[in-house]
Amino acid sequence: MKARVKVDQELADLIPGFMDNRQSDISCLTTALQQGDFETIRVIGHTLKGIGGGYGFSAITDIGAAIEQAAKEQDIPKASRLTEALKNYLENVEIVYE
Amino acid sequence: MSILVVDDSSDSRALIKVLLKEKGYSDIILAESAAKGLEFLMTQTAEGRCKVDLILMDLVMPDMDGIEACLKLKQDEMLKDIPIIMVTASAEVENLDRAFAAGAIDFITKPLKKIELLARVRSVLKLKSEMDGRKAREEELRRLTSLDGLTGIANRRWFDEFVDAAWRQGMRNKQVISLLMLDIDCFKFFNDNYGHQAGDECLKSVARAIQSVVSGPFELAARYGGEEFAIVLASSNLKNAAEVGERARLAVESLNIPHSHSPVGACITVSVGAASVVPSMETTSKELIKAADDALYSAKQNGRNRVCTYDINNK
Repeated sequence: MKARVKVDQELADLIPGFMDNRQSDISCLTTALQQGDFETIRVIGHTLKGIGGGYGFSAITDIGAAIEQAAKEQDIPKASRLTEALKNYLENVEIVYE
Repeated sequence: MSILVVDDSSDSRALIKVLLKEKGYSDIILAESAAKGLEFLMTQTAEGRCKVDLILMDLVMPDMDGIEACLKLKQDEMLKDIPIIMVTASAEVENLDRAFAAGAIDFITKPLKKIELLARVRSVLKLKSEMDGRKAREEELRRLTSLDGLTGIANRRWFDEFVDAAWRQGMRNKQVISLLMLDIDCFKFFNDNYGHQAGDECLKSVARAIQSVVSGPFELAARYGGEEFAIVLASSNLKNAAEVGERARLAVESLNIPHSHSPVGACITVSVGAASVVPSMETTSKELIKAADDALYSAKQNGRNRVCTYDINNK
């Protein structure tokens, strides 16, 4: 399902870098999930929560907050599902600058 | 307006920078850690000034977090007045409590909302600029109340404060303090002969000459009253004081201001009395002033244009 997100025109130059960083987050999350490294998962979740909405991606903030919570609860299956959800979201999001 | 942004997330830093720049704040400094931010500020203070008007500080950061950095800044005399807005993704009451206790002036929650960020930055910068204005006015007021209007060197009021402080410190550290009283020789004849305007010019030149022999935070040259000046040396013994007195005497003499009615010589000269004491409960600063006055009297009695000394501790 395509999610359409409105992003401030002035942020256009930052978006490619922002998206690259999210791909790194996903690989870090994947590794951390395999190793059961909850601290790394929590930190990434916290960062996603903090930045997503600022760029206009409130879904990233929501997923980040849920990942942070899952890490605190040491819930690997939940954190994995959320990482998958983040990946899907990033693959399908459609950005409209305005 | 210069704003320092301390945040470990590159996405946060980039976002804040773009939003602030777009609003016209052109001088944005980015730091990726509290340590880097502090380092930047310290480099500035080492150069004697800090031009940062506002710090946006992320609360949760690895190693040193925003709270700890805030506490460190508030301990630094030159940095403690820079307002800090805490930026935090965890708006838990406990965190905000700690942030305000550490000295933050405001906070913004992540994810950042452009309107909120800009509104808070604007209001804190406005406050900062008003605080700076008030500080400048206070400094000006202090200057006006502590400097002598004619000569521009310290006035009697500052002299009294300086002596009091030096006295207390000398008492604590059992350290000798010295006082010199300087009086322009036969100044009345000068005024009578050349007029009061020439007298004023003479006082200004003599003040500059006397000022030129003191330096550093432990020494003060002041106009004591009329044609009398004083030098306080908060950590010098009588021998050093006599040397400073001699330098002042020479400095005035080499101004070479004609004084045809002086019984001393052809130009303006000063007599100098120096006294020293280690402050204690048994003495007061008044006794030191009295001793320096007595030494000045001796200098006058012994032909003027000279330095005499009086050692209270070895009478």
